[in-house]
Amino acid sequence: MSELARWRKYRWQLISGEAFDPAMQMALDEVLTYRVGRGERPPTVRFWEWTAPAVVIGRFQSLRNEVDLEEANRHGITVVRRITGGGAMLTEPGRVITYSIYAPPELVAGMSFQESYAFLDAWVVEALRVLGIDAWYQPINDITSANGKIGGAAQARRHGAVLHHTTMAYDIDPEKVPRVIRIGREKLSDKGVRSAERRVAPLRQQTNLPRETIQEFLIRTFAERHGLEEGTLRPDEIDEARELVRTKFGTWEWTAILP
Amino acid sequence: MHGEYKTPGGKLVQIDLDVVEGHLRNVRVTGDFFLEPPEALDVIAGALEGAPADASEEELAHRIARALAGFPGRVELLGFSPEAVARAARRALS
Repeated sequence: MSELARWRKYRWQLISGEAFDPAMQMALDEVLTYRVGRGERPPTVRFWEWTAPAVVIGRFQSLRNEVDLEEANRHGITVVRRITGGGAMLTEPGRVITYSIYAPPELVAGMSFQESYAFLDAWVVEALRVLGIDAWYQPINDITSANGKIGGAAQARRHGAVLHHTTMAYDIDPEKVPRVIRIGREKLSDKGVRSAERRVAPLRQQTNLPRETIQEFLIRTFAERHGLEEGTLRPDEIDEARELVRTKFGTWEWTAILP
Repeated sequence: MHGEYKTPGGKLVQIDLDVVEGHLRNVRVTGDFFLEPPEALDVIAGALEGAPADASEEELAHRIARALAGFPGRVELLGFSPEAVARAARRALS
């Protein structure tokens, strides 16, 4: 089956527009993964809007190894832990583009995990290239370009569905990141000089386009390539996510599950 | 004690542990790797718990691989391996 035929087997639904706080974003990812896994909602792509800045750490990261909590506090940055692996990232309202794909496992059947990362972000790489960025997929999970790294993805396979989410820098202040996120020397050991590794090439710098224009173009690319219908979060989905914030994603027990 | 190892082209593994009477205790494995299901993390750390502090990298990797093989259901490691965890542990011990 061709790549496009795989996508086109499903009726994709779009969720976008409404902004949520960081813990709620984590909770919505879990709820929507569940719902797609149980067949209670169609395969969905969600574009995130943030109400507040956050450091989002990976499921298996040590909180204190990764984040300078005092610095984060001082800057009013919430620290949350997501359900997918991967590394810590800084997000700020209007300064990143983040989306989640909630898909049946059959979409990536027969692929290795590593292959599925490139497959699930291929439409984005394609869109960025149309926008004039020399972008490509850098295994395992990075979208990069001739000018530097643009973003990274993470996946979880849970509850009968695949969750794949990606964050791209639109206008992140590169000097702010190392103040709150610690990057060790060992991590850079196979990546050459430190300054090169940390070179992020935000989309604003590479396109001069407003964030909304880029996001709309990504959505249009998805729609033309795979088909896409306007959708919305259901009130019961939002309620379930709020409850998960209370019992899990908003709790210190979860955020510090690996202290 | 703390040790780290980054798989070339892959992800970082960090290990924190104590040595009590010649054996590994309080082993904690963290990092920016991918692992399914997440519960398998306890199996990886648990495999090193109680290992002799003078165990070789190969022996430690074997303990982890054996424990993962006994995990009910399929476990997927992406960006790291039992060998990478064992190397981080050896670095913590040296």
